[in-house]
Amino acid sequence: MLRSCAARLHALGALRGLPGAARPPARSPGPARRSLFLEADFHKDSSLPKPSWSKDMRLLFDQFMKKCEDGSWTRLPFYSYKAVQNVHDFIAFIHGSLPSTAKLVDKEQLSQAQIFTESFKDGLGFEYVMFYNDAEKRTVCLFQGGPHLQGMPGFLHGGAVATMIDATVGMSAIKAEGLVMTANLNINFKRPVPLCSVVVINSHLDKTEGRKLFISCDVRSVDETTLYSEATSLFIKLDPEKNS
Amino acid sequence: MIRRGLQGAARLRHHGALPGAARILPRLNPASAFGSSTDSLVSRFCPEKTDLKDYALPNASWCPDMLSLYQEFLEKTKADGWVKLPSFKSNRDHIQGLKLPSGLAATSDKSDWRLFTRCIPVEGQGFEYAIFFHPSKKKSVCLFQPGPYLEGAPGFAHGGSLTTMIDETFSKIAFLAGEGLLTLSLNIKFKNLIPVGSLAVLNIDVEKIEDQKLYMSCVAQSRDQKTIYAKCSGVFLRLQLEQE
Repeated sequence: MLRSCAARLHALGALRGLPGAARPPARSPGPARRSLFLEADFHKDSSLPKPSWSKDMRLLFDQFMKKCEDGSWTRLPFYSYKAVQNVHDFIAFIHGSLPSTAKLVDKEQLSQAQIFTESFKDGLGFEYVMFYNDAEKRTVCLFQGGPHLQGMPGFLHGGAVATMIDATVGMSAIKAEGLVMTANLNINFKRPVPLCSVVVINSHLDKTEGRKLFISCDVRSVDETTLYSEATSLFIKLDPEKNS
Repeated sequence: MIRRGLQGAARLRHHGALPGAARILPRLNPASAFGSSTDSLVSRFCPEKTDLKDYALPNASWCPDMLSLYQEFLEKTKADGWVKLPSFKSNRDHIQGLKLPSGLAATSDKSDWRLFTRCIPVEGQGFEYAIFFHPSKKKSVCLFQPGPYLEGAPGFAHGGSLTTMIDETFSKIAFLAGEGLLTLSLNIKFKNLIPVGSLAVLNIDVEKIEDQKLYMSCVAQSRDQKTIYAKCSGVFLRLQLEQE
Protein backbone atom coordinates (compact mmCIF):
# COMPACT_ATOMS: atom_id res chain seq x y z
CA MET A 1 0.00 0.00 0.00
CA LEU A 2 2.70 2.44 0.96
CA ARG A 3 4.69 1.95 -2.24
CA SER A 4 1.65 2.46 -4.40
CA CYS A 5 0.87 5.58 -2.45
CA ALA A 6 4.44 6.71 -2.89
CA ALA A 7 3.97 6.33 -6.62
CA ARG A 8 0.76 8.33 -6.52
CA LEU A 9 2.24 11.04 -4.40
CA HIS A 10 5.58 11.29 -6.13
CA ALA A 11 4.41 14.35 -7.94
CA LEU A 12 2.94 15.73 -4.75
CA GLY A 13 6.44 15.59 -3.35
CA ALA A 14 7.49 17.80 -6.23
CA LEU A 15 4.58 20.10 -5.48
CA ARG A 16 5.11 20.33 -1.77
CA GLY A 17 8.37 22.05 -1.08
CA LEU A 18 9.26 22.97 2.44
CA PRO A 19 7.44 26.25 2.94
CA GLY A 20 8.79 28.86 5.26
CA ALA A 21 12.25 30.14 5.77
CA ALA A 22 12.79 28.22 8.98
CA ARG A 23 14.16 25.05 7.46
CA PRO A 24 17.11 24.88 5.09
CA PRO A 25 16.65 22.45 2.18
CA ALA A 26 18.04 19.10 3.30
CA ARG A 27 17.67 17.19 0.07
CA SER A 28 19.73 17.01 -3.10
CA PRO A 29 18.13 19.13 -5.89
CA GLY A 30 16.53 16.48 -8.16
CA PRO A 31 13.38 17.65 -10.02
CA ALA A 32 12.65 21.31 -9.29
CA ARG A 33 10.56 21.64 -6.15
CA ARG A 34 7.67 23.97 -6.63
CA SER A 35 5.70 24.59 -3.50
CA LEU A 36 1.98 23.92 -3.37
CA PHE A 37 1.85 27.05 -1.28
CA LEU A 38 3.28 29.81 -3.44
CA GLU A 39 5.27 32.18 -1.30
CA ALA A 40 5.36 35.11 -3.67
CA ASP A 41 1.71 35.70 -4.43
CA PHE A 42 0.64 37.80 -1.48
CA HIS A 43 -2.59 38.91 -3.11
CA LYS A 44 -3.97 35.42 -2.86
CA ASP A 45 -2.96 34.81 0.75
CA SER A 46 -6.23 33.84 2.33
CA SER A 47 -4.77 33.93 5.83
CA LEU A 48 -4.44 37.66 6.29
CA PRO A 49 -6.99 39.20 8.67
CA LYS A 50 -10.35 39.27 6.95
CA PRO A 51 -13.65 41.04 7.68
CA SER A 52 -15.19 37.78 8.83
CA TRP A 53 -12.62 37.27 11.59
CA SER A 54 -14.02 37.77 15.07
CA LYS A 55 -12.33 39.90 17.71
CA ASP A 56 -10.89 36.82 19.39
CA MET A 57 -9.37 35.66 16.13
CA ARG A 58 -7.74 39.01 15.43
CA LEU A 59 -6.37 39.29 18.97
CA LEU A 60 -4.78 35.88 18.81
CA PHE A 61 -3.45 36.57 15.32
CA ASP A 62 -1.76 39.74 16.58
CA GLN A 63 -0.29 37.88 19.56
CA PHE A 64 1.24 35.27 17.30
CA MET A 65 2.48 37.82 14.78
CA LYS A 66 4.37 39.41 17.68
CA LYS A 67 5.93 36.05 18.43
CA CYS A 68 7.12 35.90 14.83
CA GLU A 69 9.20 39.02 15.28
CA ASP A 70 12.18 37.25 16.82
CA GLY A 71 12.08 34.48 14.23
CA SER A 72 11.17 31.65 16.60
CA TRP A 73 7.71 31.45 15.05
CA THR A 74 6.76 31.67 11.37
CA ARG A 75 3.35 32.35 9.89
CA LEU A 76 2.47 29.80 7.24
CA PRO A 77 0.68 31.29 4.27
CA PHE A 78 -2.02 29.37 2.42
CA TYR A 79 -3.15 29.99 -1.08
CA SER A 80 -5.97 28.90 -3.21
CA TYR A 81 -5.10 25.71 -5.04
CA LYS A 82 -5.94 27.37 -8.32
CA ALA A 83 -2.75 29.37 -8.04
CA VAL A 84 -0.70 26.22 -8.48
CA GLN A 85 0.72 26.07 -11.97
CA ASN A 86 1.98 22.54 -11.93
CA VAL A 87 -1.31 20.68 -11.63
CA HIS A 88 -0.91 19.65 -15.26
CA ASP A 89 2.32 17.85 -14.42
CA PHE A 90 0.51 15.96 -11.75
CA ILE A 91 -2.29 14.92 -14.12
CA ALA A 92 0.27 13.67 -16.63
CA PHE A 93 2.05 11.74 -13.90
CA ILE A 94 -1.12 10.05 -12.70
CA HIS A 95 -2.14 9.08 -16.21
CA GLY A 96 1.29 7.63 -16.77
CA SER A 97 1.63 5.57 -13.64
CA LEU A 98 -1.92 4.70 -12.59
CA PRO A 99 -4.05 4.33 -15.73
CA SER A 100 -7.05 2.73 -14.03
CA THR A 101 -7.16 5.37 -11.31
CA ALA A 102 -6.53 8.04 -13.94
CA LYS A 103 -9.78 7.17 -15.72
CA LEU A 104 -11.56 8.32 -12.60
CA VAL A 105 -9.71 11.62 -12.33
CA ASP A 106 -11.84 14.01 -14.30
CA LYS A 107 -9.68 16.72 -15.84
CA GLU A 108 -12.53 19.15 -16.07
CA GLN A 109 -13.29 18.72 -12.43
CA LEU A 110 -9.62 19.26 -11.58
CA SER A 111 -9.70 22.69 -13.12
CA GLN A 112 -12.43 23.63 -10.68
CA ALA A 113 -10.75 21.92 -7.79
CA GLN A 114 -10.04 23.72 -4.60
CA ILE A 115 -8.38 22.52 -1.50
CA PHE A 116 -11.20 21.42 0.78
CA THR A 117 -10.55 23.89 3.53
CA GLU A 118 -10.47 26.82 1.09
CA SER A 119 -13.76 26.11 -0.66
CA PHE A 120 -16.00 28.44 1.28
CA LYS A 121 -16.96 32.06 0.86
CA ASP A 122 -15.46 34.50 3.33
CA GLY A 123 -16.46 33.64 6.86
CA LEU A 124 -18.86 30.83 6.07
CA GLY A 125 -16.50 27.90 6.37
CA PHE A 126 -12.95 27.37 7.56
CA GLU A 127 -11.19 30.56 8.62
CA TYR A 128 -7.74 29.69 9.86
CA VAL A 129 -4.11 30.66 10.05
CA MET A 130 -1.15 28.55 11.12
CA PHE A 131 2.07 29.41 12.88
CA TYR A 132 5.09 27.16 13.16
CA ASN A 133 7.88 26.96 15.71
CA ASP A 134 10.78 24.93 14.39
CA ALA A 135 12.72 24.63 17.65
CA GLU A 136 9.71 23.22 19.50
CA LYS A 137 8.45 21.26 16.46
CA ARG A 138 5.10 22.82 17.14
CA THR A 139 2.33 23.99 14.82
CA VAL A 140 -0.45 26.20 16.17
CA CYS A 141 -3.61 26.76 14.17
CA LEU A 142 -6.10 29.52 15.00
CA PHE A 143 -9.41 28.26 13.68
CA GLN A 144 -12.77 29.98 13.41
CA GLY A 145 -15.48 27.62 12.15
CA GLY A 146 -18.27 29.36 10.24
CA PRO A 147 -22.02 28.77 9.96
CA HIS A 148 -21.74 26.30 7.09
CA LEU A 149 -19.79 23.84 9.20
CA GLN A 150 -22.65 22.94 11.47
CA GLY A 151 -23.32 19.51 12.94
CA MET A 152 -25.68 19.53 15.88
CA PRO A 153 -27.59 22.83 15.72
CA GLY A 154 -25.31 25.55 17.10
CA PHE A 155 -22.17 23.46 17.13
CA LEU A 156 -19.31 22.63 14.83
CA HIS A 157 -19.54 19.33 12.92
CA GLY A 158 -17.21 16.65 14.28
CA GLY A 159 -15.89 16.22 10.76
CA ALA A 160 -14.94 19.88 10.54
CA VAL A 161 -12.95 19.61 13.77
CA ALA A 162 -11.35 16.42 12.45
CA THR A 163 -10.45 18.13 9.16
CA MET A 164 -8.68 20.99 10.92
CA ILE A 165 -6.91 18.61 13.30
CA ASP A 166 -5.73 16.64 10.26
CA ALA A 167 -4.57 19.85 8.57
CA THR A 168 -2.66 21.02 11.64
CA VAL A 169 -0.95 17.76 12.54
CA GLY A 170 -0.34 17.27 8.83
CA MET A 171 1.49 20.57 8.70
CA SER A 172 3.70 19.48 11.62
CA ALA A 173 4.48 16.33 9.69
CA ILE A 174 5.21 18.15 6.44
CA LYS A 175 7.50 20.61 8.16
CA ALA A 176 9.38 17.74 9.77
CA GLU A 177 9.72 15.38 6.84
CA GLY A 178 8.29 16.88 3.67
CA LEU A 179 6.33 14.28 1.76
CA VAL A 180 3.96 12.50 4.15
CA MET A 181 0.59 10.81 4.26
CA THR A 182 -1.89 10.43 7.10
CA ALA A 183 -2.03 6.83 8.24
CA ASN A 184 -4.05 7.10 11.46
CA LEU A 185 -6.06 9.75 13.20
CA ASN A 186 -7.45 9.17 16.68
CA ILE A 187 -9.64 11.94 18.06
CA ASN A 188 -11.34 12.22 21.43
CA PHE A 189 -14.07 14.82 21.56
CA LYS A 190 -14.50 16.22 25.06
CA ARG A 191 -16.93 19.05 24.46
CA PRO A 192 -18.76 20.29 21.38
CA VAL A 193 -17.34 23.48 19.84
CA PRO A 194 -19.86 26.32 19.52
CA LEU A 195 -20.32 27.45 15.93
CA CYS A 196 -18.45 30.65 14.97
CA SER A 197 -16.17 30.55 18.01
CA VAL A 198 -12.38 30.55 17.81
CA VAL A 199 -10.29 27.57 18.91
CA VAL A 200 -6.56 27.00 19.15
CA ILE A 201 -5.23 23.74 17.75
CA ASN A 202 -1.81 23.07 19.19
CA SER A 203 0.08 20.18 17.63
CA HIS A 204 3.46 18.77 18.46
CA LEU A 205 5.73 16.21 16.84
CA ASP A 206 6.23 13.70 19.63
CA LYS A 207 8.63 11.28 18.04
CA THR A 208 9.93 9.80 14.81
CA GLU A 209 10.60 6.09 14.32
CA GLY A 210 12.09 5.41 10.95
CA ARG A 211 9.41 6.58 8.51
CA LYS A 212 6.73 6.92 11.16
CA LEU A 213 5.89 10.28 12.67
CA PHE A 214 3.85 10.45 15.86
CA ILE A 215 2.07 13.74 16.32
CA SER A 216 -0.38 14.75 19.01
CA CYS A 217 -2.53 17.82 19.41
CA ASP A 218 -5.19 19.42 21.52
CA VAL A 219 -7.99 21.82 20.69
CA ARG A 220 -8.65 24.50 23.27
CA SER A 221 -10.61 27.67 23.73
CA VAL A 222 -8.86 31.02 23.35
CA ASP A 223 -8.35 31.38 27.12
CA GLU A 224 -7.16 27.75 27.27
CA THR A 225 -9.62 26.85 30.02
CA THR A 226 -11.82 24.65 27.86
CA LEU A 227 -10.40 21.51 26.29
CA TYR A 228 -12.54 20.61 23.28
CA SER A 229 -10.60 17.65 21.86
CA GLU A 230 -7.42 15.69 22.02
CA ALA A 231 -5.94 13.74 19.17
CA THR A 232 -3.02 11.54 18.29
CA SER A 233 -1.93 10.76 14.78
CA LEU A 234 0.47 8.65 12.79
CA PHE A 235 1.99 9.90 9.55
CA ILE A 236 4.17 7.96 7.17
CA LYS A 237 7.03 9.58 5.37
CA LEU A 238 6.86 8.65 1.73
CA ASP A 239 10.01 8.18 -0.23
CA PRO A 240 9.46 9.47 -3.77
CA GLU A 241 12.44 7.47 -5.01
CA LYS A 242 10.75 4.15 -4.27
CA ASN A 243 8.29 3.18 -6.96
CA SER A 244 6.16 0.04 -7.13
CA MET B 1 -39.57 11.21 29.03
CA ILE B 2 -40.20 14.92 29.18
CA ARG B 3 -40.03 15.01 32.97
CA ARG B 4 -36.65 13.30 32.97
CA GLY B 5 -35.36 15.68 30.39
CA LEU B 6 -36.40 18.57 32.62
CA GLN B 7 -34.79 16.96 35.64
CA GLY B 8 -31.59 16.73 33.69
CA ALA B 9 -31.93 20.35 32.69
CA ALA B 10 -32.58 21.39 36.29
CA ARG B 11 -29.42 19.65 37.40
CA LEU B 12 -27.48 21.58 34.78
CA ARG B 13 -28.88 24.91 35.90
CA HIS B 14 -27.98 24.06 39.47
CA HIS B 15 -24.38 23.61 38.45
CA GLY B 16 -24.34 26.93 36.70
CA ALA B 17 -22.44 26.87 33.47
CA LEU B 18 -21.64 23.54 31.90
CA PRO B 19 -19.72 21.47 34.43
CA GLY B 20 -15.95 21.39 34.30
CA ALA B 21 -13.57 18.97 32.67
CA ALA B 22 -14.69 15.82 34.41
CA ARG B 23 -18.14 15.46 32.90
CA ILE B 24 -19.66 17.45 30.11
CA LEU B 25 -23.24 16.38 30.63
CA PRO B 26 -25.30 15.12 33.54
CA ARG B 27 -25.72 11.40 33.93
CA LEU B 28 -29.25 10.51 32.98
CA ASN B 29 -31.08 7.92 35.01
CA PRO B 30 -30.23 4.73 33.10
CA ALA B 31 -33.48 2.95 33.73
CA SER B 32 -35.51 5.82 32.36
CA ALA B 33 -33.57 6.83 29.36
CA PHE B 34 -34.09 5.99 25.73
CA GLY B 35 -37.65 4.88 25.62
CA SER B 36 -37.87 5.53 21.90
CA SER B 37 -37.48 2.43 19.81
CA THR B 38 -35.54 2.45 16.60
CA ASP B 39 -38.76 2.08 14.61
CA SER B 40 -40.34 5.15 16.16
CA LEU B 41 -37.15 7.13 15.66
CA VAL B 42 -36.99 6.06 12.03
CA SER B 43 -40.58 6.96 11.31
CA ARG B 44 -40.09 10.38 12.86
CA PHE B 45 -36.85 10.86 10.93
CA CYS B 46 -38.38 9.88 7.59
CA PRO B 47 -41.55 11.93 7.32
CA GLU B 48 -44.07 10.72 4.75
CA LYS B 49 -44.83 14.21 3.56
CA THR B 50 -42.57 17.18 3.87
CA ASP B 51 -41.87 20.44 2.06
CA LEU B 52 -38.19 20.15 2.87
CA LYS B 53 -35.85 19.40 0.02
CA ASP B 54 -34.26 15.96 0.22
CA TYR B 55 -30.66 16.26 -0.98
CA ALA B 56 -30.04 12.53 -1.01
CA LEU B 57 -31.54 12.08 -4.47
CA PRO B 58 -29.80 11.36 -7.76
CA ASN B 59 -28.68 14.33 -9.80
CA ALA B 60 -26.72 14.93 -12.97
CA SER B 61 -23.38 14.89 -11.16
CA TRP B 62 -23.69 11.33 -9.88
CA CYS B 63 -21.29 8.91 -11.57
CA PRO B 64 -22.74 5.74 -13.16
CA ASP B 65 -21.54 3.54 -10.27
CA MET B 66 -23.33 5.74 -7.77
CA LEU B 67 -26.53 5.78 -9.80
CA SER B 68 -26.66 2.02 -10.28
CA LEU B 69 -25.82 1.17 -6.68
CA TYR B 70 -28.41 3.69 -5.53
CA GLN B 71 -31.04 1.94 -7.66
CA GLU B 72 -30.00 -1.43 -6.21
CA PHE B 73 -30.54 -0.19 -2.69
CA LEU B 74 -33.77 1.52 -3.61
CA GLU B 75 -35.04 -1.88 -4.71
CA LYS B 76 -34.02 -3.29 -1.33
CA THR B 77 -36.12 -0.68 0.43
CA LYS B 78 -39.20 -2.26 -1.08
CA ALA B 79 -38.93 -5.70 0.42
CA ASP B 80 -35.66 -6.31 2.29
CA GLY B 81 -36.18 -4.00 5.24
CA TRP B 82 -33.84 -1.21 4.11
CA VAL B 83 -34.82 2.42 4.57
CA LYS B 84 -33.50 5.37 2.57
CA LEU B 85 -32.74 8.28 4.88
CA PRO B 86 -33.77 11.74 3.72
CA SER B 87 -31.10 14.42 3.97
CA PHE B 88 -32.04 17.99 4.78
CA LYS B 89 -30.05 21.22 4.78
CA SER B 90 -29.84 21.41 8.56
CA ASN B 91 -30.02 18.93 11.41
CA ARG B 92 -32.67 21.18 12.87
CA ASP B 93 -34.96 19.99 10.08
CA HIS B 94 -34.33 16.39 11.09
CA ILE B 95 -35.42 16.93 14.68
CA GLN B 96 -38.51 19.07 14.20
CA GLY B 97 -40.46 19.40 17.40
CA LEU B 98 -37.45 18.38 19.45
CA LYS B 99 -34.40 20.19 20.67
CA LEU B 100 -31.05 19.52 22.28
CA PRO B 101 -30.99 19.18 26.08
CA SER B 102 -30.95 22.68 27.56
CA GLY B 103 -27.33 22.50 28.66
CA LEU B 104 -26.40 22.16 25.02
CA ALA B 105 -28.94 24.18 23.13
CA ALA B 106 -27.43 27.03 21.16
CA THR B 107 -28.38 30.48 22.35
CA SER B 108 -29.44 31.82 18.99
CA ASP B 109 -30.91 30.24 15.93
CA LYS B 110 -29.42 31.67 12.78
CA SER B 111 -30.99 30.83 9.49
CA ASP B 112 -27.71 30.85 7.59
CA TRP B 113 -26.37 27.94 9.60
CA ARG B 114 -26.09 24.83 7.45
CA LEU B 115 -25.20 21.21 7.93
CA PHE B 116 -21.58 20.88 6.91
CA THR B 117 -22.17 18.05 4.46
CA ARG B 118 -25.00 19.93 2.76
CA CYS B 119 -23.56 23.42 2.58
CA ILE B 120 -21.93 23.30 -0.84
CA PRO B 121 -25.02 23.83 -2.97
CA VAL B 122 -23.64 23.32 -6.47
CA GLU B 123 -24.39 19.79 -7.65
CA GLY B 124 -21.36 17.55 -7.71
CA GLN B 125 -18.90 20.01 -6.22
CA GLY B 126 -18.91 18.90 -2.60
CA PHE B 127 -20.46 15.99 -0.73
CA GLU B 128 -22.77 13.88 -2.86
CA TYR B 129 -24.17 11.10 -0.73
CA ALA B 130 -27.15 8.95 0.14
CA ILE B 131 -27.55 6.85 3.27
CA PHE B 132 -29.49 3.60 3.54
CA PHE B 133 -30.26 2.07 6.93
CA HIS B 134 -31.44 -1.38 7.97
CA PRO B 135 -33.17 -0.90 11.35
CA SER B 136 -33.27 -4.50 12.49
CA LYS B 137 -29.77 -5.45 11.37
CA LYS B 138 -28.44 -2.10 12.64
CA LYS B 139 -26.39 -1.76 9.51
CA SER B 140 -25.99 1.11 7.14
CA VAL B 141 -24.58 1.81 3.72
CA CYS B 142 -23.58 5.28 2.60
CA LEU B 143 -22.86 5.98 -1.06
CA PHE B 144 -20.35 8.83 -1.13
CA GLN B 145 -19.01 10.72 -4.14
CA PRO B 146 -16.54 13.47 -3.20
CA GLY B 147 -16.51 16.48 -5.53
CA PRO B 148 -13.61 18.74 -6.57
CA TYR B 149 -14.15 21.13 -3.65
CA LEU B 150 -13.19 18.34 -1.28
CA GLU B 151 -9.70 17.93 -2.64
CA GLY B 152 -6.63 17.24 -0.61
CA ALA B 153 -3.84 15.77 -2.71
CA PRO B 154 -4.51 16.84 -6.34
CA GLY B 155 -7.23 14.62 -7.81
CA PHE B 156 -8.06 12.89 -4.53
CA ALA B 157 -10.46 13.55 -1.69
CA HIS B 158 -9.10 15.23 1.44
CA GLY B 159 -8.79 12.84 4.37
CA GLY B 160 -10.85 15.32 6.37
CA SER B 161 -13.74 15.03 3.92
CA LEU B 162 -13.86 11.26 4.28
CA THR B 163 -13.66 11.61 8.07
CA THR B 164 -16.51 14.10 7.87
CA MET B 165 -18.64 11.76 5.76
CA ILE B 166 -18.03 8.89 8.15
CA ASP B 167 -18.79 11.08 11.18
CA GLU B 168 -21.97 12.34 9.53
CA THR B 169 -23.19 8.83 8.70
CA PHE B 170 -22.24 7.62 12.18
CA SER B 171 -24.27 10.45 13.68
CA LYS B 172 -27.43 9.58 11.77
CA ILE B 173 -27.14 5.87 12.49
CA ALA B 174 -26.26 6.43 16.15
CA PHE B 175 -29.35 8.57 16.50
CA LEU B 176 -31.66 6.04 14.91
CA ALA B 177 -30.14 3.00 16.59
CA GLY B 178 -30.01 4.43 20.09
CA GLU B 179 -30.44 8.20 20.34
CA GLY B 180 -26.73 8.76 20.01
CA LEU B 181 -26.14 12.47 19.62
CA LEU B 182 -22.55 13.60 20.02
CA THR B 183 -19.31 12.14 18.77
CA LEU B 184 -17.11 11.05 21.65
CA SER B 185 -14.28 9.61 19.60
CA LEU B 186 -13.23 8.71 16.09
CA ASN B 187 -10.35 6.44 15.20
CA ILE B 188 -9.64 6.35 11.48
CA LYS B 189 -7.00 4.41 9.59
CA PHE B 190 -6.40 5.60 6.05
CA LYS B 191 -5.41 2.93 3.55
CA ASN B 192 -5.87 4.40 0.08
CA LEU B 193 -6.85 7.68 -1.55
CA ILE B 194 -10.30 8.22 -3.08
CA PRO B 195 -10.21 9.80 -6.54
CA VAL B 196 -12.43 12.88 -6.74
CA GLY B 197 -15.68 12.10 -8.56
CA SER B 198 -15.59 8.38 -7.90
CA LEU B 199 -17.84 6.32 -5.64
CA ALA B 200 -16.81 5.23 -2.17
CA VAL B 201 -19.10 2.80 -0.39
CA LEU B 202 -19.20 3.17 3.40
CA ASN B 203 -20.39 0.08 5.29
CA ILE B 204 -21.36 0.80 8.86
CA ASP B 205 -22.24 -1.57 11.67
CA VAL B 206 -23.48 -0.81 15.14
CA GLU B 207 -21.15 -2.93 17.25
CA LYS B 208 -22.43 -2.35 20.75
CA ILE B 209 -24.97 -0.26 22.61
CA GLU B 210 -24.24 0.56 26.23
CA ASP B 211 -26.02 2.67 28.74
CA GLN B 212 -24.44 5.96 27.71
CA LYS B 213 -22.43 5.03 24.65
CA LEU B 214 -22.92 3.59 21.23
CA TYR B 215 -20.09 1.91 19.31
CA MET B 216 -19.91 1.76 15.54
CA SER B 217 -17.45 0.64 12.89
CA CYS B 218 -17.07 1.63 9.26
CA VAL B 219 -15.21 0.28 6.26
CA ALA B 220 -14.92 2.60 3.27
CA GLN B 221 -14.13 0.82 0.04
CA SER B 222 -14.55 0.84 -3.71
CA ARG B 223 -17.68 -0.68 -5.20
CA ASP B 224 -15.91 -3.86 -6.23
CA GLN B 225 -14.47 -4.09 -2.70
CA LYS B 226 -10.96 -4.50 -4.11
CA THR B 227 -9.69 -1.22 -2.71
CA ILE B 228 -10.14 -0.35 0.94
CA TYR B 229 -10.00 3.40 1.45
CA ALA B 230 -10.22 3.52 5.24
CA LYS B 231 -11.41 1.80 8.38
CA CYS B 232 -12.91 3.75 11.20
CA SER B 233 -14.45 3.15 14.59
CA GLY B 234 -16.55 5.69 16.43
CA VAL B 235 -18.14 6.11 19.83
CA PHE B 236 -21.20 8.31 20.33
CA LEU B 237 -22.79 9.69 23.46
CA ARG B 238 -26.43 8.77 23.93
CA LEU B 239 -28.60 11.71 24.90
CA GLN B 240 -32.31 12.23 24.82
CA LEU B 241 -33.69 15.16 22.93
CA GLU B 242 -36.27 17.27 24.72
CA GLN B 243 -39.67 18.35 23.49
CA GLU B 244 -39.78 21.94 22.35
